Amino acid sequence: MTASLAPPRKRQLHAPKFILAGPAIVWWVLFFIAPIVFVIYYSFGTKDTTKLLPVNMSSPSLHNYHQAFSSTFFTTFKATLKIAITATVLTTVIGFPVAYFLAFKVKEKWRAILLALIIVPSFTSFLIRTLAWRIPLAPNGQFSTWLQDWGLIHGPISILETRTAVQIAIVYNYLGFMILPLFVALDRIEGVLREASKDLGAGRIATFAQVTLPLAGPGIAAGVLLTFIPMCGDYVTATVLGGAKGNMIGAMIDQQFRGAQDWPLGSAIAVLMILAVLLILGIGVGLVMGVQYVLKRRRRVTIAQLEALT
Amino acid sequence: MPSRPEPIKILAPVGYREHLSRRALLQLGAGSAGLTALLAACGSSTKTAAPTTTAAAPTTTGATTATTSAPTTAGTTAGTTAGTTAGTTAGTTGTTAASGPVTYSTVVNKSGGTLNMYTWGAYNDPSIVGDLAQTDLNITMKVDYYTSNEDLITKLSTANGSSGFDVVVPTGPYIPQMIQKGLLEKFDKSKLPNIVNVDKLYLGQDWDKGNDYSVCKDWGSTGWMVNTAKVKTPIKTWNDFIAVAMGEASGNVSVLDTGANVLGMYFWANGIDWNTEKKEDLDAAEKFLVDQFASHIKAFDSYPSTKIATGDYTLSMAWNGDARAAFQDIEDAKGDTSVWKWGLGTPNTELWMDNYCIPTGSPNPDAAHAWINWLLSPDISIKDLKYHGYNSGLKDMPGLITKYAPDLKRSDMIFFADAQVATMRTQRITSAQSRIADIYSKIKAKAGG
Repeated sequence: MTASLAPPRKRQLHAPKFILAGPAIVWWVLFFIAPIVFVIYYSFGTKDTTKLLPVNMSSPSLHNYHQAFSSTFFTTFKATLKIAITATVLTTVIGFPVAYFLAFKVKEKWRAILLALIIVPSFTSFLIRTLAWRIPLAPNGQFSTWLQDWGLIHGPISILETRTAVQIAIVYNYLGFMILPLFVALDRIEGVLREASKDLGAGRIATFAQVTLPLAGPGIAAGVLLTFIPMCGDYVTATVLGGAKGNMIGAMIDQQFRGAQDWPLGSAIAVLMILAVLLILGIGVGLVMGVQYVLKRRRRVTIAQLEALT
Repeated sequence: MPSRPEPIKILAPVGYREHLSRRALLQLGAGSAGLTALLAACGSSTKTAAPTTTAAAPTTTGATTATTSAPTTAGTTAGTTAGTTAGTTAGTTGTTAASGPVTYSTVVNKSGGTLNMYTWGAYNDPSIVGDLAQTDLNITMKVDYYTSNEDLITKLSTANGSSGFDVVVPTGPYIPQMIQKGLLEKFDKSKLPNIVNVDKLYLGQDWDKGNDYSVCKDWGSTGWMVNTAKVKTPIKTWNDFIAVAMGEASGNVSVLDTGANVLGMYFWANGIDWNTEKKEDLDAAEKFLVDQFASHIKAFDSYPSTKIATGDYTLSMAWNGDARAAFQDIEDAKGDTSVWKWGLGTPNTELWMDNYCIPTGSPNPDAAHAWINWLLSPDISIKDLKYHGYNSGLKDMPGLITKYAPDLKRSDMIFFADAQVATMRTQRITSAQSRIADIYSKIKAKAGG
């Protein structure tokens, strides 16, 4: 830390430091906190389509939560979770080698180009990229015909309008959001640390497992957060490719707001979903911390033990 | 439909290309329209303020007599089709066309500026919302789409008069609540002289007796498309539809993405009033649809036509115009249309009517009136009909078809015989709405589970 070496500053009037965060705070309060407060508020109301905003707040109750806590919600929520968790695991497994390759194996001059290639697809709209999957997956499409001509499949492709289609596309849609934070985390690991590990006798696998992977932890966490949470709320992928079988909770909330004009019930489901996602993340964090604690204890070497060794 | 744009050359099934190009072009048009509007707005603000009215005096066109012009192209047409709605038993054939030549008003009012329309997908001929509107009316069109009336109402009510749309197209039963919420603006009827062209059967509907807020765009019904190469059982009624959906076609069935239609299928099949508010009827529908039917559904899809062409469905519930478009899409995809069969729902089915309306706060009501009026002139109305495939409800449709579209294909899917129309029912918005929405959510959840 170099702070103590800096020359003493002249006293001057200055605004409190959080002013710098002012624009962000205003933005978040207006467009994040306020809407969420409204959603929570509406979730206690009753549907009233005679009003411009179809919510009647005259007799607030927990009725919507009672209704939302139905088997309907749980069936769809389970399906959503399954898709999101599978996809998070897949993006991590697919994304990690890519990020590792970019951070350690690629020559400096190629790295920027490869990174750009990962970002380029997101220049196209999310919706268009999702919709584009319908072309190769179409049962009567050219791709399907080729596969059949080559004898790779019997009968037309039948993936569209299933959960598999949603799973494939959702992994594709979010892969970039996993690779980038992983790359940043891996890239920041100093080469000397890995060299030191090798000097101290660790093999490639041991170096990876005990040095690289733990140091990449924050990147993995960021990647999981950046993919898992939006996946839980994703409804574009499910709506475009999922048909009846790929119904996700986001689509269900949308259905309540736009289809049924039942804002209170939609709000209640949204609140439940936020709580459920927080709960799952909490469980996830707990698990990771537990594993870390156990590992730390197991690897702890006391002076007495060292002395016993020598 | 001869006036479709050139398909984009991509690795896609031909049917899908059509879909892409149609939408893509519309959107390109919309984008550039927005840009021109912006430029125009920067240039001069007086442009839209003074619309020129080159009022061509109402002239008589056509003058075909109804009696002689029964179309040879239409298989089952009987004079003017009687579209009775909601209990009114008025519709006997040829009410307006019976005596002497039919005359039409063909006033075209020029306007200016940009016209923003919010409507259903693939619902207007691309040239009518593109070049033609530009040349005939001096209007630049920008079109956006919604998929349900609730969607439209939500958008308009949350914007509270600042949605920026000039024309919207709600279905009849939803109009009263829109008027009550103040979402619609009254017509200036002096700017809609062509309204006289609409058959009296389609004017003065229950939801807007004086046509102060709405005028018929077109009306249609609901039935099914079935791939007879894969389904051997003939489908004659909604009961057959349900049986096949749960049998031979299980897992490859699409139903319209509206609760009213999915429940309607059950009610129509079982001879129950579509607008029932009885608890036992709704309970029975829920029990059957959720526990037994839902798991066989592949998709909730209000426009199955393109996906029928790409081979996604074996059996689809569809609106007649979209089903008709499916045949075109299959042809374009070099598929075999002969295996596909259209069937109109029996013993009962739906009758819906969509209406042109002007939302409150429309930035350019003059252009909105000019455009709606233009769409009510016979030649434009028929040109549009050829694209969307729904009866646009003008006087003496057979005569107009003979005159403007003698080559119209599959007109039996557009015009229905009186006996068929008599089996059609109009939806009402009742106290059961919430329950229907709830059942529909359950069906959707079950179908995904």
